[in-house]
Amino acid sequence: MSCYHLSRLLFDLKMNESSYQRALTDFEGVMGEYELSTDEKNALRSGDPRKLRQLGVHGMLCLYIKRLNPEFRNNVYWAQK
Amino acid sequence: MPLVSALAASHAPNILLEPGAEWEDFMNLHYSMAPQGSAPRPTLEQQKKLRQDAEAAFAALRADLEQARADVLIVVANDQFVNFFLNNIPTFFVTLADEVKGQFTRHTFRYRNHKELGLAIVRAGMDKGIDFSFGEHIELQHTQNVPLYFLLPEPTIPILPIYVNTWVDPAPTPRRCYQVGELIREVALQSSERVAILATGGLSHFPGSPRIGEIDTQFDHKLLEVMRRGQGPSLADYSVEELLQAGDSEFLNWMVVVGCVGAAKATYTSYMPDFVATGWGFVSWKL
Repeated sequence: MSCYHLSRLLFDLKMNESSYQRALTDFEGVMGEYELSTDEKNALRSGDPRKLRQLGVHGMLCLYIKRLNPEFRNNVYWAQK
Repeated sequence: MPLVSALAASHAPNILLEPGAEWEDFMNLHYSMAPQGSAPRPTLEQQKKLRQDAEAAFAALRADLEQARADVLIVVANDQFVNFFLNNIPTFFVTLADEVKGQFTRHTFRYRNHKELGLAIVRAGMDKGIDFSFGEHIELQHTQNVPLYFLLPEPTIPILPIYVNTWVDPAPTPRRCYQVGELIREVALQSSERVAILATGGLSHFPGSPRIGEIDTQFDHKLLEVMRRGQGPSLADYSVEELLQAGDSEFLNWMVVVGCVGAAKATYTSYMPDFVATGWGFVSWKL
């Protein structure tokens, strides 16, 4: 089962500043813009990259969910590609 | 003209991040994937020592590059979801832009791109049965910027980014990457310019994996020893799976350069595991 749309959302959290800013205030709304299963939405809500990896997402894309975590928002990782 | 210089170097972001808070950020993010996150981490002094050792290794490579008086530097690296996403993953991609730019924290990078050499490689590939993808725009990322910061800090010569898919399964075989290197060597031979080539990445590391923090130093040392002995062609016998198991998928970038140099012996090697994620490796072949 492809997890393309889940992967795309995670990609956009890092690479699309507009998507990221909207996700900070309305993550449910942003999730609604992608074709996601209930399991995928729950994994995203958990904020745990390991749960995303279990759904088949590339490991590095999984880490992008951390950008929504207040502890990681200013991480230097987001200042480089 | 024969290739004038061949180099390979790690592109781990923490080579260029500042020891201290930036390294902590890097470790905190990556270790959120694995329970080793609570394992002992390198002290600030150890981080500084690693940076110094990496700078010394890059200085050795840069001296060889400058001595070669290259007119262009081909940079073989992998994309990491910056230019290519899962809707289209090229196995091999040649950049046909006029110029290329990128950013890494407070560092900016801008180089002329050697489009003509890129086009010659694409055309030669089509004649020889290697059909490259190509395009007129890419954004430089850490896979190029980290080594370029140390090796070509001023844009005195153009570069030519070439991408190998080491990042998304399925990846090309080491033998296919070696063949791409052989092709580039032939194109360089037909060129009137002095062509140098750099591969980036590796060595052993497991980014985004529960194995983050593991470094297969034994496998890395074996690769370096083979290159020192001038037995590079034998590396094409490895399977992709063997490289993946050792965390050496980015060695596929290096295999392109190994294909360029064939049985030439590496004249400089340096290796240092960073005790965080990656075995940092550095190689030069004086040609």
